[in-house]
Amino acid sequence: MTQAVHFLPDEKSHEATRLLPYVMAVMVYLSALALMGSMMLHKGFGEWTETLSNRLTVQITTADPDIRYAQLQEVTKLLRNTPGIEYVRVLNDIEIEKLLEPWLGEGNVTSDLPVPDILDVTVSRSMTVNLDALRGMLSKVSENIHLDDHQQWLGRFLRLMDTVEYTALGILLLVVMATICMVIFGTKAGMAENRETIAVMHHLGAKDGMIARAFQDRFMKYGLKGGIIGLLLAFLTLTSLIFLSRDLASDLVKVPDFPIVQVAILLIIPFFAALIAMMTARMTVLRNLGRMV
Amino acid sequence: MIHFENVGMRYGMGSEVLKDISFNLKPGSLHFLTGPSGAGKTSLLKLMYLAHRPSRGKITMFREDVGAATRSELPRFRRRIGTVFQDFRLLDHLTAVENVALPLWIAGGKGAEIEEHVEELLTWVGLEGRMKARPPTLSGGEKQRVAIARAVIKRPDLLLADEPTGNVDPVIARRIMHLFLELNKLGTTTVIATHDMEVVNRVTADRMHLSDGQLQLFGAGETVPQEEEFEPAEFGSRLLDQNEFGPRRYVADENDREDGV
Ligand SMILES: Nc1ncnc2c1ncn2[C@@H]1O[C@H](COP(=O)(O)OP(=O)(O)OP(=O)(O)O)[C@@H](O)[C@H]1O
Ligand SMILES: [Mg+2]
Repeated sequence: MTQAVHFLPDEKSHEATRLLPYVMAVMVYLSALALMGSMMLHKGFGEWTETLSNRLTVQITTADPDIRYAQLQEVTKLLRNTPGIEYVRVLNDIEIEKLLEPWLGEGNVTSDLPVPDILDVTVSRSMTVNLDALRGMLSKVSENIHLDDHQQWLGRFLRLMDTVEYTALGILLLVVMATICMVIFGTKAGMAENRETIAVMHHLGAKDGMIARAFQDRFMKYGLKGGIIGLLLAFLTLTSLIFLSRDLASDLVKVPDFPIVQVAILLIIPFFAALIAMMTARMTVLRNLGRMV
Repeated sequence: MIHFENVGMRYGMGSEVLKDISFNLKPGSLHFLTGPSGAGKTSLLKLMYLAHRPSRGKITMFREDVGAATRSELPRFRRRIGTVFQDFRLLDHLTAVENVALPLWIAGGKGAEIEEHVEELLTWVGLEGRMKARPPTLSGGEKQRVAIARAVIKRPDLLLADEPTGNVDPVIARRIMHLFLELNKLGTTTVIATHDMEVVNRVTADRMHLSDGQLQLFGAGETVPQEEEFEPAEFGSRLLDQNEFGPRRYVADENDREDGV
Protein backbone atom coordinates (compact mmCIF):
# COMPACT_ATOMS: atom_id res chain seq x y z
CA MET A 1 0.00 0.00 0.00
CA THR A 2 1.12 3.52 -0.77
CA GLN A 3 2.64 5.46 2.07
CA ALA A 4 0.34 8.02 3.65
CA VAL A 5 1.55 11.61 3.39
CA HIS A 6 -0.70 14.10 5.12
CA PHE A 7 -0.61 16.88 2.61
CA LEU A 8 -4.29 17.85 2.62
CA PRO A 9 -5.51 20.70 4.80
CA ASP A 10 -6.94 19.86 8.20
CA GLU A 11 -10.37 18.25 8.11
CA LYS A 12 -11.83 21.07 10.18
CA SER A 13 -10.98 23.60 7.51
CA HIS A 14 -12.38 21.35 4.84
CA GLU A 15 -15.42 23.34 3.84
CA ALA A 16 -16.69 21.17 1.02
CA THR A 17 -16.80 17.88 2.84
CA ARG A 18 -17.06 18.69 6.54
CA LEU A 19 -20.77 17.90 6.56
CA LEU A 20 -20.27 14.55 4.93
CA PRO A 21 -20.02 12.54 8.18
CA TYR A 22 -23.47 13.76 9.17
CA VAL A 23 -25.00 12.81 5.87
CA MET A 24 -23.25 9.47 6.24
CA ALA A 25 -24.82 9.19 9.69
CA VAL A 26 -28.28 9.69 8.21
CA MET A 27 -27.59 7.08 5.54
CA VAL A 28 -26.35 4.56 8.06
CA TYR A 29 -29.30 5.36 10.33
CA LEU A 30 -31.76 4.64 7.54
CA SER A 31 -30.09 1.45 6.43
CA ALA A 32 -29.65 0.23 10.00
CA LEU A 33 -33.34 0.79 10.71
CA ALA A 34 -34.32 -0.96 7.50
CA LEU A 35 -32.08 -3.89 8.33
CA MET A 36 -33.00 -4.11 11.98
CA GLY A 37 -36.68 -3.81 11.23
CA SER A 38 -36.58 -6.57 8.71
CA MET A 39 -34.45 -8.82 10.88
CA MET A 40 -36.68 -8.41 13.89
CA LEU A 41 -39.82 -8.98 11.88
CA HIS A 42 -38.20 -11.97 10.29
CA LYS A 43 -37.38 -13.47 13.64
CA GLY A 44 -40.70 -12.53 15.23
CA PHE A 45 -42.84 -13.69 12.33
CA GLY A 46 -40.72 -16.76 11.96
CA GLU A 47 -41.37 -17.82 15.55
CA TRP A 48 -45.00 -17.01 15.28
CA THR A 49 -45.66 -18.85 12.04
CA GLU A 50 -43.72 -21.72 13.50
CA THR A 51 -46.12 -21.96 16.43
CA LEU A 52 -49.10 -21.57 14.16
CA SER A 53 -48.05 -24.06 11.56
CA ASN A 54 -48.89 -27.12 13.66
CA ARG A 55 -51.99 -25.67 15.21
CA LEU A 56 -55.60 -26.00 14.22
CA THR A 57 -58.49 -24.11 15.64
CA VAL A 58 -61.98 -25.55 15.81
CA GLN A 59 -64.88 -23.24 16.53
CA ILE A 60 -68.36 -24.31 17.48
CA THR A 61 -70.81 -21.48 16.95
CA THR A 62 -74.07 -23.26 17.75
CA ALA A 63 -76.28 -20.78 19.62
CA ASP A 64 -77.99 -23.15 22.06
CA PRO A 65 -75.57 -23.74 24.94
CA ASP A 66 -76.77 -27.28 25.66
CA ILE A 67 -76.51 -28.48 22.07
CA ARG A 68 -73.22 -26.71 21.81
CA TYR A 69 -71.93 -28.55 24.86
CA ALA A 70 -72.95 -31.91 23.42
CA GLN A 71 -71.25 -31.08 20.15
CA LEU A 72 -68.15 -30.04 22.00
CA GLN A 73 -67.95 -33.41 23.72
CA GLU A 74 -68.40 -35.22 20.41
CA VAL A 75 -65.86 -33.13 18.54
CA THR A 76 -63.30 -33.51 21.31
CA LYS A 77 -63.65 -37.26 21.20
CA LEU A 78 -63.49 -37.30 17.43
CA LEU A 79 -60.37 -35.19 17.37
CA ARG A 80 -58.64 -37.24 20.06
CA ASN A 81 -59.21 -40.35 17.99
CA THR A 82 -57.87 -38.86 14.80
CA PRO A 83 -54.36 -40.11 14.01
CA GLY A 84 -51.78 -37.33 13.87
CA ILE A 85 -53.50 -35.14 16.39
CA GLU A 86 -51.42 -34.85 19.52
CA TYR A 87 -53.31 -32.63 21.78
CA VAL A 88 -56.74 -31.07 22.07
CA ARG A 89 -57.53 -28.36 24.51
CA VAL A 90 -60.75 -26.49 25.09
CA LEU A 91 -60.25 -22.82 25.74
CA ASN A 92 -61.93 -21.66 28.95
CA ASP A 93 -64.18 -18.61 29.19
CA ILE A 94 -61.49 -16.32 30.47
CA GLU A 95 -59.20 -17.12 27.56
CA ILE A 96 -61.99 -16.55 25.06
CA GLU A 97 -62.94 -13.32 26.75
CA LYS A 98 -59.34 -12.18 26.41
CA LEU A 99 -59.32 -12.98 22.74
CA LEU A 100 -62.46 -10.98 22.22
CA GLU A 101 -61.51 -8.01 24.35
CA PRO A 102 -59.38 -6.28 21.70
CA TRP A 103 -62.46 -6.16 19.48
CA LEU A 104 -65.20 -5.55 21.98
CA GLY A 105 -63.41 -3.59 24.62
CA GLU A 106 -62.67 -4.51 28.20
CA GLY A 107 -65.67 -5.46 30.33
CA ASN A 108 -68.01 -5.65 27.35
CA VAL A 109 -67.86 -9.40 27.07
CA THR A 110 -70.88 -10.25 29.16
CA SER A 111 -72.21 -13.66 29.96
CA ASP A 112 -75.31 -13.19 27.84
CA LEU A 113 -73.22 -12.56 24.75
CA PRO A 114 -73.26 -15.61 22.49
CA VAL A 115 -69.67 -16.80 22.59
CA PRO A 116 -68.45 -19.78 20.59
CA ASP A 117 -66.52 -22.67 22.02
CA ILE A 118 -62.99 -22.86 20.77
CA LEU A 119 -60.66 -25.84 20.66
CA ASP A 120 -56.96 -25.49 20.31
CA VAL A 121 -55.59 -28.49 18.45
CA THR A 122 -51.93 -29.42 18.19
CA VAL A 123 -50.95 -31.56 15.24
CA SER A 124 -47.98 -33.89 15.23
CA ARG A 125 -45.12 -32.59 13.15
CA SER A 126 -44.13 -36.01 11.96
CA MET A 127 -47.55 -37.04 10.63
CA THR A 128 -49.83 -35.30 8.21
CA VAL A 129 -53.45 -35.02 9.06
CA ASN A 130 -55.93 -35.33 6.25
CA LEU A 131 -57.62 -32.01 6.77
CA ASP A 132 -60.27 -32.51 4.10
CA ALA A 133 -61.40 -35.74 5.69
CA LEU A 134 -61.39 -34.13 9.10
CA ARG A 135 -63.40 -31.19 7.81
CA GLY A 136 -65.90 -33.63 6.31
CA MET A 137 -66.31 -35.50 9.58
CA LEU A 138 -66.75 -32.32 11.59
CA SER A 139 -69.39 -30.95 9.25
CA LYS A 140 -71.31 -34.16 9.73
CA VAL A 141 -71.57 -33.35 13.43
CA SER A 142 -72.89 -29.86 12.76
CA GLU A 143 -72.74 -27.13 10.16
CA ASN A 144 -71.77 -24.75 12.89
CA ILE A 145 -68.38 -26.33 13.37
CA HIS A 146 -65.54 -24.59 11.60
CA LEU A 147 -62.03 -25.86 11.19
CA ASP A 148 -59.34 -23.23 10.65
CA ASP A 149 -55.88 -24.43 9.75
CA HIS A 150 -54.59 -20.83 9.46
CA GLN A 151 -53.16 -21.60 6.05
CA GLN A 152 -54.88 -18.74 4.31
CA TRP A 153 -53.83 -16.47 7.06
CA LEU A 154 -50.29 -17.75 7.12
CA GLY A 155 -49.97 -17.48 3.38
CA ARG A 156 -50.94 -13.84 3.47
CA PHE A 157 -48.69 -13.36 6.38
CA LEU A 158 -45.71 -14.89 4.64
CA ARG A 159 -46.33 -12.76 1.58
CA LEU A 160 -46.44 -9.66 3.74
CA MET A 161 -43.24 -10.73 5.40
CA ASP A 162 -41.56 -11.17 2.04
CA THR A 163 -42.78 -7.77 0.89
CA VAL A 164 -41.46 -6.14 4.03
CA GLU A 165 -38.11 -7.80 3.56
CA TYR A 166 -37.81 -6.91 -0.11
CA THR A 167 -38.75 -3.35 0.71
CA ALA A 168 -36.07 -3.21 3.38
CA LEU A 169 -33.58 -4.61 0.89
CA GLY A 170 -34.65 -2.05 -1.70
CA ILE A 171 -34.25 0.77 0.79
CA LEU A 172 -30.84 -0.54 1.67
CA LEU A 173 -29.79 -0.62 -1.96
CA LEU A 174 -31.04 2.89 -2.58
CA VAL A 175 -29.26 4.16 0.48
CA VAL A 176 -26.00 2.53 -0.61
CA MET A 177 -26.37 4.07 -4.06
CA ALA A 178 -27.11 7.49 -2.61
CA THR A 179 -24.08 7.13 -0.33
CA ILE A 180 -21.83 6.31 -3.26
CA CYS A 181 -23.11 9.30 -5.22
CA MET A 182 -22.56 11.52 -2.24
CA VAL A 183 -19.01 10.33 -1.71
CA ILE A 184 -18.24 10.85 -5.41
CA PHE A 185 -19.66 14.34 -5.13
CA GLY A 186 -17.68 15.02 -1.96
CA THR A 187 -14.46 13.66 -3.40
CA LYS A 188 -14.80 15.78 -6.51
CA ALA A 189 -15.48 18.85 -4.40
CA GLY A 190 -12.47 18.03 -2.27
CA MET A 191 -10.28 17.60 -5.33
CA ALA A 192 -11.45 20.89 -6.82
CA GLU A 193 -10.79 22.61 -3.54
CA ASN A 194 -7.28 21.17 -3.36
CA ARG A 195 -6.48 21.43 -7.03
CA GLU A 196 -3.33 23.46 -6.56
CA THR A 197 -2.13 21.23 -3.72
CA ILE A 198 -2.57 18.17 -5.91
CA ALA A 199 -0.69 19.87 -8.76
CA VAL A 200 2.20 20.69 -6.42
CA MET A 201 2.25 17.12 -5.12
CA HIS A 202 2.51 15.90 -8.69
CA HIS A 203 5.38 18.27 -9.43
CA LEU A 204 7.20 16.99 -6.40
CA GLY A 205 6.89 13.47 -7.77
CA ALA A 206 3.86 12.11 -5.94
CA LYS A 207 2.14 9.20 -7.64
CA ASP A 208 -1.61 9.14 -8.18
CA GLY A 209 -1.87 6.38 -5.60
CA MET A 210 -0.44 8.66 -2.92
CA ILE A 211 -2.96 11.37 -3.68
CA ALA A 212 -5.78 8.84 -3.76
CA ARG A 213 -4.55 7.52 -0.41
CA ALA A 214 -4.97 10.90 1.25
CA PHE A 215 -8.54 11.20 0.02
CA GLN A 216 -9.52 7.61 0.71
CA ASP A 217 -8.17 7.84 4.27
CA ARG A 218 -10.16 10.97 4.84
CA PHE A 219 -13.39 9.57 3.46
CA MET A 220 -12.91 6.32 5.32
CA LYS A 221 -12.78 8.34 8.52
CA TYR A 222 -15.91 10.23 7.51
CA GLY A 223 -17.68 6.95 6.79
CA LEU A 224 -16.67 5.43 10.11
CA LYS A 225 -17.57 8.52 12.09
CA GLY A 226 -20.92 8.90 10.36
CA GLY A 227 -21.50 5.17 10.62
CA ILE A 228 -21.04 5.07 14.37
CA ILE A 229 -23.27 8.10 14.94
CA GLY A 230 -25.95 6.67 12.66
CA LEU A 231 -25.88 3.26 14.27
CA LEU A 232 -26.12 4.67 17.78
CA LEU A 233 -29.14 6.70 16.74
CA ALA A 234 -30.69 3.63 15.16
CA PHE A 235 -30.21 1.58 18.36
CA LEU A 236 -31.70 4.39 20.37
CA THR A 237 -34.72 4.59 18.09
CA LEU A 238 -35.25 0.88 18.13
CA THR A 239 -34.91 0.50 21.87
CA SER A 240 -37.47 3.18 22.49
CA LEU A 241 -39.79 1.68 19.89
CA ILE A 242 -39.64 -1.71 21.58
CA PHE A 243 -40.10 -0.10 24.96
CA LEU A 244 -43.19 1.75 23.79
CA SER A 245 -44.70 -1.19 21.97
CA ARG A 246 -44.40 -3.45 25.04
CA ASP A 247 -47.19 -1.47 26.64
CA LEU A 248 -49.45 -1.87 23.64
CA ALA A 249 -48.81 -5.53 23.09
CA SER A 250 -51.72 -7.89 23.43
CA ASP A 251 -51.31 -11.58 23.97
CA LEU A 252 -52.38 -12.16 20.43
CA VAL A 253 -49.51 -10.23 18.90
CA LYS A 254 -46.26 -10.82 20.62
CA VAL A 255 -43.66 -8.07 20.30
CA PRO A 256 -40.49 -9.60 18.98
CA ASP A 257 -37.62 -9.65 21.43
CA PHE A 258 -34.51 -7.70 20.81
CA PRO A 259 -32.62 -10.19 18.68
CA ILE A 260 -29.18 -9.73 20.19
CA VAL A 261 -27.29 -11.87 17.71
CA GLN A 262 -28.81 -10.31 14.62
CA VAL A 263 -28.43 -6.84 15.96
CA ALA A 264 -24.79 -7.54 16.70
CA ILE A 265 -24.38 -8.14 13.00
CA LEU A 266 -25.40 -4.52 12.50
CA LEU A 267 -22.19 -3.47 14.19
CA ILE A 268 -20.43 -4.06 10.92
CA ILE A 269 -22.51 -1.36 9.21
CA PRO A 270 -20.15 1.50 10.14
CA PHE A 271 -17.23 -0.50 8.80
CA PHE A 272 -19.17 -1.24 5.67
CA ALA A 273 -19.96 2.47 5.30
CA ALA A 274 -16.28 3.27 5.80
CA LEU A 275 -15.33 0.71 3.18
CA ILE A 276 -17.80 2.06 0.64
CA ALA A 277 -16.64 5.62 1.27
CA MET A 278 -12.99 4.62 1.01
CA MET A 279 -13.31 2.62 -2.21
CA THR A 280 -15.52 5.21 -3.84
CA ALA A 281 -13.15 8.05 -2.96
CA ARG A 282 -10.16 6.09 -4.21
CA MET A 283 -11.74 5.23 -7.53
CA THR A 284 -13.03 8.76 -8.00
CA VAL A 285 -9.60 10.27 -7.39
CA LEU A 286 -7.80 7.84 -9.66
CA ARG A 287 -10.32 8.29 -12.44
CA ASN A 288 -10.23 12.05 -12.27
CA LEU A 289 -6.45 12.29 -11.95
CA GLY A 290 -6.13 10.11 -15.02
CA ARG A 291 -7.86 12.83 -16.95
CA MET A 292 -5.35 15.45 -15.81
CA VAL A 293 -2.09 16.05 -17.66
CA MET B 1 21.45 15.03 -19.45
CA ILE B 2 18.84 17.14 -21.16
CA HIS B 3 18.46 17.21 -24.88
CA PHE B 4 15.95 19.31 -26.81
CA GLU B 5 15.49 18.77 -30.50
CA ASN B 6 13.43 21.24 -32.52
CA VAL B 7 11.00 21.64 -29.66
CA GLY B 8 8.00 23.89 -30.01
CA MET B 9 5.45 24.73 -27.34
CA ARG B 10 2.11 26.43 -27.27
CA TYR B 11 -0.58 27.01 -24.69
CA GLY B 12 -3.82 25.49 -25.80
CA MET B 13 -4.63 26.60 -29.32
CA GLY B 14 -2.49 29.74 -29.12
CA SER B 15 0.55 30.48 -31.22
CA GLU B 16 3.90 28.96 -30.30
CA VAL B 17 5.57 30.65 -27.35
CA LEU B 18 8.71 28.56 -27.93
CA LYS B 19 9.91 27.88 -31.44
CA ASP B 20 12.42 25.36 -32.64
CA ILE B 21 14.36 25.04 -29.43
CA SER B 22 17.43 22.80 -29.64
CA PHE B 23 20.11 22.42 -27.03
CA ASN B 24 22.01 19.94 -24.98
CA LEU B 25 22.84 20.30 -21.29
CA LYS B 26 25.76 18.26 -20.05
CA PRO B 27 25.52 16.58 -16.67
CA GLY B 28 26.76 18.88 -13.94
CA SER B 29 26.64 22.00 -16.07
CA LEU B 30 25.39 25.39 -14.89
CA HIS B 31 23.27 27.67 -17.03
CA PHE B 32 21.59 30.99 -16.72
CA LEU B 33 18.40 31.37 -18.66
CA THR B 34 17.83 35.01 -19.50
CA GLY B 35 15.58 37.03 -21.69
CA PRO B 36 13.00 39.76 -21.43
CA SER B 37 9.76 39.27 -19.62
CA GLY B 38 7.38 37.18 -21.65
CA ALA B 39 10.19 35.68 -23.70
CA GLY B 40 9.29 32.18 -22.58
CA LYS B 41 11.71 31.38 -19.75
CA THR B 42 9.07 29.94 -17.48
CA SER B 43 7.58 28.07 -20.41
CA LEU B 44 10.92 26.45 -21.23
CA LEU B 45 11.34 25.43 -17.60
CA LYS B 46 7.82 23.98 -17.60
CA LEU B 47 8.88 21.65 -20.38
CA MET B 48 11.88 20.63 -18.33
CA TYR B 49 9.98 20.01 -15.12
CA LEU B 50 7.42 18.07 -17.10
CA ALA B 51 4.45 20.27 -16.36
CA HIS B 52 3.75 20.73 -20.03
CA ARG B 53 4.18 18.61 -23.12
CA PRO B 54 5.82 20.07 -26.22
CA SER B 55 3.67 20.65 -29.28
CA ARG B 56 6.47 19.30 -31.43
CA GLY B 57 10.06 18.10 -31.26
CA LYS B 58 11.73 15.64 -28.96
CA ILE B 59 12.86 16.00 -25.37
CA THR B 60 15.30 13.56 -23.86
CA MET B 61 16.00 13.69 -20.13
CA PHE B 62 18.14 11.34 -18.09
CA ARG B 63 18.70 9.47 -21.35
CA GLU B 64 15.01 8.72 -21.76
CA ASP B 65 12.50 10.11 -24.19
CA VAL B 66 10.11 11.92 -21.88
CA GLY B 67 7.67 12.52 -24.71
CA ALA B 68 7.00 8.81 -24.75
CA ALA B 69 6.70 8.56 -20.97
CA THR B 70 3.30 7.53 -19.68
CA ARG B 71 1.57 9.30 -16.87
CA SER B 72 2.63 6.72 -14.35
CA GLU B 73 6.30 7.10 -15.31
CA LEU B 74 6.41 10.84 -14.73
CA PRO B 75 6.85 10.72 -10.92
CA ARG B 76 10.10 8.83 -11.41
CA PHE B 77 11.49 11.71 -13.51
CA ARG B 78 10.05 14.42 -11.32
CA ARG B 79 11.70 13.01 -8.22
CA ARG B 80 15.08 13.65 -9.79
CA ILE B 81 14.21 17.28 -10.47
CA GLY B 82 14.15 20.12 -7.96
CA THR B 83 12.13 23.12 -9.03
CA VAL B 84 11.90 26.64 -7.66
CA PHE B 85 8.70 27.98 -9.15
CA GLN B 86 8.44 31.64 -10.02
CA ASP B 87 5.29 31.81 -7.89
CA PHE B 88 6.76 29.44 -5.24
CA ARG B 89 3.74 27.15 -5.08
CA LEU B 90 4.07 26.34 -1.41
CA LEU B 91 1.26 24.57 0.39
CA ASP B 92 -0.33 27.23 2.55
CA HIS B 93 -1.66 24.89 5.21
CA LEU B 94 1.71 23.30 5.92
CA THR B 95 4.50 24.85 7.98
CA ALA B 96 7.80 25.88 6.41
CA VAL B 97 9.40 22.72 7.74
CA GLU B 98 6.62 20.51 6.37
CA ASN B 99 6.75 22.21 2.98
CA VAL B 100 10.45 21.56 2.70
CA ALA B 101 10.12 17.99 3.98
CA LEU B 102 7.46 17.19 1.39
CA PRO B 103 9.78 15.89 -1.37
CA LEU B 104 11.41 13.58 1.16
CA TRP B 105 8.07 12.26 2.40
CA ILE B 106 6.89 11.73 -1.13
CA ALA B 107 9.99 9.71 -1.86
CA GLY B 108 9.09 7.50 1.09
CA GLY B 109 11.29 9.01 3.79
CA LYS B 110 10.15 9.25 7.37
CA GLY B 111 11.44 9.81 10.82
CA ALA B 112 13.05 12.53 12.83
CA GLU B 113 16.19 12.82 10.71
CA ILE B 114 14.16 14.44 7.99
CA GLU B 115 13.07 17.22 10.25
CA GLU B 116 16.60 17.77 11.50
CA HIS B 117 17.90 17.91 7.97
CA VAL B 118 15.17 20.31 6.91
CA GLU B 119 15.75 22.62 9.87
CA GLU B 120 19.43 22.73 9.11
CA LEU B 121 18.75 23.82 5.56
CA LEU B 122 16.16 26.39 6.58
CA THR B 123 18.64 27.81 9.06
CA TRP B 124 21.15 28.04 6.28
CA VAL B 125 18.84 30.19 4.18
CA GLY B 126 18.19 32.42 7.18
CA LEU B 127 14.81 31.15 8.30
CA GLU B 128 15.73 29.74 11.70
CA GLY B 129 13.02 31.79 13.40
CA ARG B 130 10.27 30.85 11.00
CA MET B 131 10.33 27.06 10.97
CA LYS B 132 6.74 26.60 12.09
CA ALA B 133 5.35 29.54 10.13
CA ARG B 134 2.88 28.91 7.35
CA PRO B 135 3.44 30.52 3.95
CA PRO B 136 0.62 33.09 4.22
CA THR B 137 2.44 34.62 7.17
CA LEU B 138 5.79 34.75 5.39
CA SER B 139 7.17 37.66 3.38
CA GLY B 140 7.81 37.22 -0.32
CA GLY B 141 11.51 36.72 0.24
CA GLU B 142 10.91 34.23 3.04
CA LYS B 143 8.55 32.24 0.88
CA GLN B 144 11.12 32.22 -1.86
CA ARG B 145 13.70 30.76 0.49
CA VAL B 146 11.31 28.05 1.63
CA ALA B 147 10.67 27.24 -2.03
CA ILE B 148 14.40 27.04 -2.67
CA ALA B 149 14.97 24.83 0.33
CA ARG B 150 12.22 22.50 -0.91
CA ALA B 151 13.84 22.35 -4.34
CA VAL B 152 17.29 21.45 -3.08
CA ILE B 153 16.48 19.31 -0.03
CA LYS B 154 16.73 16.06 -1.97
CA ARG B 155 19.91 17.10 -3.76
CA PRO B 156 18.27 16.62 -7.17
CA ASP B 157 20.03 15.61 -10.35
CA LEU B 158 18.52 18.59 -12.08
CA LEU B 159 17.76 21.91 -10.44
CA LEU B 160 15.47 24.36 -12.20
CA ALA B 161 15.10 27.75 -10.57
CA ASP B 162 12.74 30.39 -11.91
CA GLU B 163 13.77 33.83 -10.66
CA PRO B 164 15.13 32.46 -7.38
CA THR B 165 16.53 35.79 -6.23
CA GLY B 166 13.70 37.98 -7.38
CA ASN B 167 12.39 38.85 -3.94
CA VAL B 168 15.43 38.86 -1.68
CA ASP B 169 18.07 41.39 -0.74
CA PRO B 170 21.56 41.10 -2.26
CA VAL B 171 23.04 39.40 0.80
CA ILE B 172 20.46 36.60 0.74
CA ALA B 173 20.71 36.47 -3.05
CA ARG B 174 24.42 35.71 -2.75
CA ARG B 175 23.76 33.08 -0.15
CA ILE B 176 21.24 31.41 -2.41
CA MET B 177 23.57 31.54 -5.37
CA HIS B 178 26.28 30.05 -3.20
CA LEU B 179 23.95 27.22 -2.29
CA PHE B 180 23.20 26.56 -5.94
CA LEU B 181 26.88 26.62 -6.86
CA GLU B 182 27.72 24.20 -4.07
CA LEU B 183 25.01 21.86 -5.24
CA ASN B 184 26.23 22.25 -8.81
CA LYS B 185 29.74 21.31 -7.70
CA LEU B 186 28.30 18.13 -6.25
CA GLY B 187 26.97 17.29 -9.70
CA THR B 188 23.53 18.80 -9.94
CA THR B 189 22.81 20.12 -13.40
CA THR B 190 21.45 23.60 -12.81
CA VAL B 191 19.36 26.01 -14.85
CA ILE B 192 18.56 29.38 -13.33
CA ALA B 193 16.15 31.72 -15.06
CA THR B 194 16.78 35.24 -13.96
CA HIS B 195 16.49 38.90 -14.71
CA ASP B 196 19.06 39.69 -12.07
CA MET B 197 22.04 40.84 -14.12
CA GLU B 198 24.10 41.30 -11.00
CA VAL B 199 23.84 37.60 -10.29
CA VAL B 200 24.48 36.69 -13.91
CA ASN B 201 27.53 38.84 -14.11
CA ARG B 202 28.97 37.56 -10.87
CA VAL B 203 29.05 33.93 -11.86
CA THR B 204 30.78 32.22 -14.73
CA ALA B 205 28.20 30.09 -16.41
CA ASP B 206 26.78 29.29 -19.79
CA ARG B 207 23.96 31.50 -20.94
CA MET B 208 20.74 30.46 -22.59
CA HIS B 209 19.14 33.55 -23.94
CA LEU B 210 15.52 33.59 -24.99
CA SER B 211 13.89 36.32 -26.93
CA ASP B 212 10.56 36.04 -28.57
CA GLY B 213 10.48 32.27 -28.21
CA GLN B 214 13.86 31.72 -29.86
CA LEU B 215 16.87 30.42 -27.97
CA GLN B 216 20.49 31.48 -28.35
CA LEU B 217 23.33 29.81 -26.50
CA PHE B 218 26.50 31.47 -25.25
CA GLY B 219 29.57 29.99 -23.62
CA ALA B 220 30.76 31.13 -20.23
CA GLY B 221 33.23 33.63 -21.61
CA GLU B 222 31.14 35.07 -24.38
CA THR B 223 29.40 38.39 -24.05
CA VAL B 224 25.73 38.35 -24.69
CA PRO B 225 24.68 41.13 -27.01
CA GLN B 226 22.64 43.55 -24.93
CA GLU B 227 19.24 44.16 -26.24
CA GLU B 228 16.80 46.74 -25.10
CA GLU B 229 16.20 44.96 -21.83
CA PHE B 230 14.03 46.98 -19.56
CA GLU B 231 14.52 46.25 -15.91
CA PRO B 232 12.10 48.25 -13.85
CA ALA B 233 13.70 47.28 -10.58
CA GLU B 234 17.16 48.26 -11.75
CA PHE B 235 15.77 51.37 -13.32
CA GLY B 236 14.12 52.53 -10.15
CA SER B 237 16.90 51.73 -7.75
CA ARG B 238 19.62 53.25 -9.92
CA LEU B 239 17.53 56.33 -10.36
CA LEU B 240 17.22 56.73 -6.62
CA ASP B 241 20.76 55.66 -5.78
CA GLN B 242 22.39 58.08 -8.08
CA ASN B 243 19.92 60.88 -7.89
CA GLU B 244 19.94 61.09 -11.60
CA PHE B 245 17.10 62.23 -13.72
CA GLY B 246 17.72 60.03 -16.67
CA PRO B 247 17.92 56.25 -16.74
CA ARG B 248 21.36 54.77 -17.04
CA ARG B 249 21.77 51.36 -18.47
CA TYR B 250 23.47 48.98 -16.17
CA VAL B 251 26.46 47.59 -18.00
CA ALA B 252 28.32 44.65 -16.69
CA ASP B 253 31.92 45.39 -15.85
CA GLU B 254 34.10 42.54 -16.96
CA ASN B 255 36.51 43.11 -14.01
CA ASP B 256 33.70 43.02 -11.53
CA ARG B 257 33.00 39.36 -12.16
CA GLU B 258 33.76 36.75 -9.62
CA ASP B 259 33.60 33.08 -9.90
CA GLY B 260 32.13 32.46 -6.53
CA VAL B 261 29.93 34.69 -4.53
N1 LIG C 1 -0.76 29.53 -18.98
C1 LIG C 1 -0.59 30.29 -20.10
N2 LIG C 1 -1.53 30.31 -21.02
C2 LIG C 1 -1.37 31.06 -22.14
N3 LIG C 1 -0.30 31.78 -22.39
C3 LIG C 1 0.68 31.79 -21.48
C4 LIG C 1 0.59 31.05 -20.28
N4 LIG C 1 1.71 31.23 -19.57
C5 LIG C 1 2.47 32.06 -20.28
N5 LIG C 1 1.87 32.40 -21.44
C6 LIG C 1 2.42 33.28 -22.49
O1 LIG C 1 3.61 32.68 -22.97
C7 LIG C 1 4.62 33.64 -23.18
C8 LIG C 1 5.85 33.26 -22.39
O2 LIG C 1 5.55 33.34 -21.02
P1 LIG C 1 6.58 32.93 -19.91
O3 LIG C 1 5.87 32.92 -18.61
O4 LIG C 1 7.26 31.69 -20.32
O5 LIG C 1 7.60 34.15 -19.96
P2 LIG C 1 8.84 34.46 -19.02
O6 LIG C 1 10.01 34.59 -19.88
O7 LIG C 1 8.92 33.48 -17.92
O8 LIG C 1 8.43 35.88 -18.44
P3 LIG C 1 8.79 36.52 -17.02
O9 LIG C 1 10.21 36.95 -17.10
O10 LIG C 1 7.87 37.69 -16.92
O11 LIG C 1 8.55 35.50 -15.99
C9 LIG C 1 4.03 34.97 -22.78
O12 LIG C 1 3.62 35.63 -23.96
C10 LIG C 1 2.82 34.62 -21.95
O13 LIG C 1 1.80 35.56 -22.14
MG1 LIG D 1 8.65 33.54 -15.92
